[in-house]
Amino acid sequence: MGIKKISKDGFSGLIEGLIAETTVIGVQSKGDKFVYDLLGSSANLRLDYDVTILPPKKYFLQPAEILLRFDGEKYEAEFDDEEFVLVGVHPYDMIAINQIDKLYSEDNFDSHYMRRRENATVIACDVARASENVFASSMGTATVSEGFDILLTDIGDFYVAESATDKGEKLLGKAEGVSTAEDEDLKAREKIQEENKKNLNKHKLGCKPSELPGLLEKAYNHPIWEELGKKCFSCGSCNQVCPTCYCFNVQDEVNWDLKSGTRKRVWDGCLLDGFTKVAGGHEFRKSRADRIKHRIYRKGKYVPEKIGGEIACVGCGRCVGACLTDIANPVKIYNRLIEDIGIGK
Amino acid sequence: MGKPRVAIFDFACCEGCQLQIVNLEEEILDLTGAFDVVEWREAMSEQSDEYDIAIVEGSITRPEDEERVKNIRRRAKILIALGACATIGGINKLKNNFELGEVKEYVYGKDSEKPHLDTAKTKAVGEVVKVDYKVHGCPIDRDEFTYILRCILLGKEPEIPEWPVCVECKAKGNVCVWEYGQVCLGPITRAGCGARCPSSGFRCYGCRGYIDNPNVEAAKEVIEKYNLDIKDLKAKMKLFGSGYEPTKK
Amino acid sequence: MSGRREDRSIYQPELATVRDRKMLNETELYLRLSMDSGVLEYKPGQFVEVSVAGIGEAPISISSSPTADDGFELVIRRVGNVTNAIHKLQTGDKVGIRGPYGKGLYPVDEVKGKDLIFICGGIGLVPQRSFIKYVLANRGEYGQVTIFFGTKTVAQRLFASELSEWDKLEGVEVKETVDKPEEGWGGEVGVITTLIDKIDKDIRDAMIFACGPPVMYKFVLLALEEKKVKAKNIYLNLERKMKCGVGKCGHCQMNNYYVCIDGPVFCYSKLKDIPEAI
Repeated sequence: MGIKKISKDGFSGLIEGLIAETTVIGVQSKGDKFVYDLLGSSANLRLDYDVTILPPKKYFLQPAEILLRFDGEKYEAEFDDEEFVLVGVHPYDMIAINQIDKLYSEDNFDSHYMRRRENATVIACDVARASENVFASSMGTATVSEGFDILLTDIGDFYVAESATDKGEKLLGKAEGVSTAEDEDLKAREKIQEENKKNLNKHKLGCKPSELPGLLEKAYNHPIWEELGKKCFSCGSCNQVCPTCYCFNVQDEVNWDLKSGTRKRVWDGCLLDGFTKVAGGHEFRKSRADRIKHRIYRKGKYVPEKIGGEIACVGCGRCVGACLTDIANPVKIYNRLIEDIGIGK
Repeated sequence: MGKPRVAIFDFACCEGCQLQIVNLEEEILDLTGAFDVVEWREAMSEQSDEYDIAIVEGSITRPEDEERVKNIRRRAKILIALGACATIGGINKLKNNFELGEVKEYVYGKDSEKPHLDTAKTKAVGEVVKVDYKVHGCPIDRDEFTYILRCILLGKEPEIPEWPVCVECKAKGNVCVWEYGQVCLGPITRAGCGARCPSSGFRCYGCRGYIDNPNVEAAKEVIEKYNLDIKDLKAKMKLFGSGYEPTKK
Repeated sequence: MSGRREDRSIYQPELATVRDRKMLNETELYLRLSMDSGVLEYKPGQFVEVSVAGIGEAPISISSSPTADDGFELVIRRVGNVTNAIHKLQTGDKVGIRGPYGKGLYPVDEVKGKDLIFICGGIGLVPQRSFIKYVLANRGEYGQVTIFFGTKTVAQRLFASELSEWDKLEGVEVKETVDKPEEGWGGEVGVITTLIDKIDKDIRDAMIFACGPPVMYKFVLLALEEKKVKAKNIYLNLERKMKCGVGKCGHCQMNNYYVCIDGPVFCYSKLKDIPEAI
């Protein structure tokens, strides 16, 4: 697939055209923060944003979604078949989506999630402004090379636009103001990406991401877990805002006929009370310390073992900001462990 | 088997939770289709001593109310506490922060010793009789109320969240109101309201009562972080939390 | 992106019909079911998600042997919303089934020729019964079979007549114990480990299969250690909260393993590296 450049006017025109014919979700401002929401006009699109309150995951794995409808004995699976365009996905969030793609397609194929993924056209964009807590540079997620249909990089009057799929190629083909990306444009893009690889780093991880599973191997009985557990509300905020968290609960709701209704899945979180409690009342991971440890191990060791080594923390920094008691920051935890027990054997 | 008979009673409260039932609008037809409503002072004139399910709104504030609610309990197979006044004592429990005579005199002045103005310490319904189901909130959430009723019809224990409001608030993509300097009780208050107040820019007032296992140490941590005094937090907790201890496991 | 498009939902239950039901004791219901379309093919140790519309799903171990040709059997303890609803099912009723799930992982072939000891605490007999019946159906391929079954009270015993039938078979021994005996009880008294302690022969080459409540395993493992049984000869069948059964929802995870897709039967030599397991 190719790399072109598109004028900002041309891109706005493309978005306006899309808004006229399909559902377009884009990053917009909400007070002094940013959110993904239905886009009514290209003028509301804010590709200069730093980070969104919630990651774009919510369009694939919705906070609450219907899996099945039932009526008496009959169950019918429900799928979302609406096509949509998602505009403004940052590299770290794209990498998070790529990871969940693997987890939801391998072993047991989750067609509810995967349908939405197939229905989506993703226009990603390189980060133009570092957020308060981003540490993507530390995690190797400041830039992205796959998963999107188009990747935009703002180089001033133009975006460099890389299309990675047929869908992306076709979309760009429809746009006006598209021209060949010259050497200087590519260099401008490379400069931005190289800078992002260094500068999206408000919290600096003291080791390579690939060293984290080894670090955690030795940290299971470290006192930090108990220390953090004392300060944890078990509010699950870190889970709720995380682009790589994908656990869910399943709930049935009936209509007044008491026969028909829906089976829904809703976001769940491993930090919450009751997450591991069985019907008899036994709770397998009861202590807050163990639940915090589980979250960190899941991101830094367990999920990586499932998806071929990639660390399941993409450095978006959302949990850092969402945690009222300031204990969620993975970098702080990792660095403390590095300091106390060191990297290596 | 006929439809279960339901009677709705009120004690000390603003009756706003009953109003939420009235406000169910067309869904009230589903409700009256599934249940036989035999007494409901706010909405109808009939009365009955024969019922299967008693829905009790309000808190218990007078000795004679204790007798009345015990009587209701004796007649009902199932008793539902409706709204914060009934489930946790609610705002009425503010009274318990003061000496009773002082309260009476403040409210009724020179008439305070008249027998019909007699009052006692406020109790939640569950402090007087056994409560089978609680519909939390001030006011109640209509959807949660009808969900609980359908669960009763199905013979299913309703799944009421044991986690705090933050869970629902974050899922909605709200900005944390602590960031705007508000002392929000979301982290220790039981979810289930859909984070109604924080979603509208208000702090959580704690009307659904505390979660089973609130972390007081963590609350202190936040107070320090925002340079507040623990008194600020305690003052906020008084409105719905007076004399109400979390049901620690 | 794989681009693979599947129209089937992994969360879609298939219908089964209740062929037979009976209460085994006050809280345990026995169901024999058959799938409305096709046959449920499963291995000992696997489970199904039983679905009651409007109430939810619960993971339930299969209690019959794959060698049975008349549907499959479940035993359900009444402990929560879904199991309460399952208890209301009558013969002829429909119920949703997903699965079978789990690897099973009873080493059905590997343990051929060996002596087998089944340690069952309460309802822990249910999933073990699947393998026990499989072994008994292929009797010649396995050595001496010993079944230990412990319950709190006499009233909580399960499959009592089946147990005494098994006990009569050549090369099969069944021993029962109850915590709180009543008059006329002829078996042992005490927790299940009392049966292990009383074993008077060398069991170092035997294969041990244990299933029971979480608290049981610690004590059983200590008792087996006393008997010098190696970890690789011990298999445990674990319980966890489960929602999806297919390795997505995260509830049953213990460290880096999912009980639903990696278990629920685990060899103890593996569990030693899973601190959250026991």
